[in-house]
Amino acid sequence: MNPTMLLPLPIAVPLAMAAFLALVAKVIGRRVADTLAIATAAANVWMTLVILHTVWLQPLTYWLGNWWPRSHDVALGICLTVDGIGATLALLVSVLTLAGLIFSWKIFEETENHFQPLMLLFMAAMCGFSYTGDVFNLFVFFELMSVSAFALCGLKTQEPAPLQGAFNFGLVNTVGAFMIVMGIGLLYSRTGALNFAQIGKALGTQDDSLILLAFLLIAVGYMVKAAIVPFHFWLADAHAVAPSPVCVLFSGVMVELGIYAVARVYWTMFQGSLSPHTRELRAILLVMAAITAIVGALMCYAEHHLKRLLAFSTISHAGLMLVGVALLAPKALGGFLVYVLSHGVIKAGLFLCAGIVLHRLHKIGEDHLHGCGRGMWWTAALFLLGAWGLAGAPPFGTLLGESMISDSANEFHQNWVAYLFMFSEIITAGAVFRFTFRTFFGWGERAPIDESSEVEEKPETEAEQERTPLAMLIPTTALIALGIVLTFVPNIRSVAEGDAHFFTDQASYAAAVLQNIEPAPAAKAASESLTPSIVRCCIAGVLALLLAFASLFHQRVGKWLRFSHSLELGNSILRKAHSGHPGDYVAWLSFGTAVLGGFFAWFLRG
Amino acid sequence: MLNYLTYIVAAWVFLWGLYGIVTSKNLVHQVVCAAVLQTSTYVLLLGIGFKVGGTAPIFADIPVGTPVVDPLVQALMLTDIVVEATIMALLLSMVVKANEVAGSVDPEELRVMQG
Repeated sequence: MNPTMLLPLPIAVPLAMAAFLALVAKVIGRRVADTLAIATAAANVWMTLVILHTVWLQPLTYWLGNWWPRSHDVALGICLTVDGIGATLALLVSVLTLAGLIFSWKIFEETENHFQPLMLLFMAAMCGFSYTGDVFNLFVFFELMSVSAFALCGLKTQEPAPLQGAFNFGLVNTVGAFMIVMGIGLLYSRTGALNFAQIGKALGTQDDSLILLAFLLIAVGYMVKAAIVPFHFWLADAHAVAPSPVCVLFSGVMVELGIYAVARVYWTMFQGSLSPHTRELRAILLVMAAITAIVGALMCYAEHHLKRLLAFSTISHAGLMLVGVALLAPKALGGFLVYVLSHGVIKAGLFLCAGIVLHRLHKIGEDHLHGCGRGMWWTAALFLLGAWGLAGAPPFGTLLGESMISDSANEFHQNWVAYLFMFSEIITAGAVFRFTFRTFFGWGERAPIDESSEVEEKPETEAEQERTPLAMLIPTTALIALGIVLTFVPNIRSVAEGDAHFFTDQASYAAAVLQNIEPAPAAKAASESLTPSIVRCCIAGVLALLLAFASLFHQRVGKWLRFSHSLELGNSILRKAHSGHPGDYVAWLSFGTAVLGGFFAWFLRG
Repeated sequence: MLNYLTYIVAAWVFLWGLYGIVTSKNLVHQVVCAAVLQTSTYVLLLGIGFKVGGTAPIFADIPVGTPVVDPLVQALMLTDIVVEATIMALLLSMVVKANEVAGSVDPEELRVMQG
């Protein structure tokens, strides 16, 4: 069989199943619907794995309706172009959806909320998003995943908080989506094309304000999804209220896909136009990434609502991932891929742990949970492992991503990047450690009263549970374990870097899509020594533990360690800025766009 | 001039939509402002596809070579309309639910999470 025929299947099969389940869910009952959904997700894991295996060395293009470019380089049809990075992300999407669906076996008593069809729709949209080779289809899949995400987020419509979270999420992302449409419109007006490769070819090295404006609008639109400060406000509200299996997909892969999209549009379309200003663009993106990592970390440590805490840690890590893209180098992009994979499974595992806490203890605020989790040793161990993984410490795969990105940053004389990683990792891991020690061990003083953790959340399950069901423990454990397994995938670093080389090579991407020319195999990159990263990340892990202890026993530690307590109380100005008001969020979005546009106009022109 | 006018109108409508969303005190009004914002994308796409003297791009009864407007832009717009109609419907249904649960459509009063 021609392997290109496989490419549309991970999108088409879950779409068809979602429609079928939505139709018959009431007739076939909860368990049959669950089983069918899980089977579909498992099939998707298998299909995306086969596709990844096929495109590992040679990217493939599938032309819908067989509209391949007959006159060589004019693409009229719509295509899916799957390369190593897109295929890997689709695999991550499928794995996380499978884990989320298995986890949900025990939650949601009623079936009328269309949970399974929405999850499948979400999965199909995200797979399409990573596979597509067409800028307008990227937008359509973006909207499809947004709509299913809004609905999944506001699933519990009987409470005000989920409605607030889903509404803020929906409104802010929709404004971002309009910016993307405008950017696409401007691009089309200039090039008359919608295919990535075709647009890249048509733009060539033209360099003017219209192209810059299009890049600004599209990049901002996707950065809203990627939760880059100051476009990030919706994320914490949405994560705090979404059901845990949904948070898995939000944090594990949806946010990362936003960054992926920025990278994709930059390299396939704008690279030539912006090439005279690579240095300036790198600086601007690096500053945004650093601000995101720092703001996310500071907010994360100040939170005592477990899901919000993890959400802000995702924002901080999104900043770190943006560093991988912002360096505009293949090696850093390879690091981005490895980091996304390992962070994705670890963070997903932690959100499932949060689901277990909610299931067993029926509370989510750190001050209410103090000591309540004694006896849940397995969950506590998973939390500790997850936090250790967030610190990027061995044996977790985050270490490899960190080392690739910092090595690449050193080549550009940006030595501070390694410290930025340490800063964010210490604080986000410290916050999870702090939560674990208080909740499962009952150590230290009680958490300070925190308004944001007072939000009532109805448990996702009924009836007091004495044991954690296996349907919850198995996917959670498997995800955390995957974070370790990734480290030992042979040659993962050089393969990721090879994929990134193709991803960042505009000419060979265009040749592969439009003329079906196989790209030259990338030179095998020499893997550099991991020792400095191992040392750095181990230090980060230990410091994170120390930070957590300093917070727990803040009345007994020396004066110079008291800063940990003020870190825990948080910066009131920063916290007030997260006002929970959708209008404010859109105001920040407009402000951020204006500032970024100003920088673009100042530094990236002529 | 006509060329530039459409872009100016699009930017104008876009900014008013943003202003409406930012200052709104009513969720229904806020969603409608988002819809206003969205119409700016229609104006922009119309401006891009329009051709002075062009006719509808249906070649059944006109000779090949007649100037026509760009048919692809209308396909984009149609997709845009469908997608955004879904989102508006979803957002409005959330507002309805919010009114049932919280008894208000003021974003200030619906606010249970912050910081």
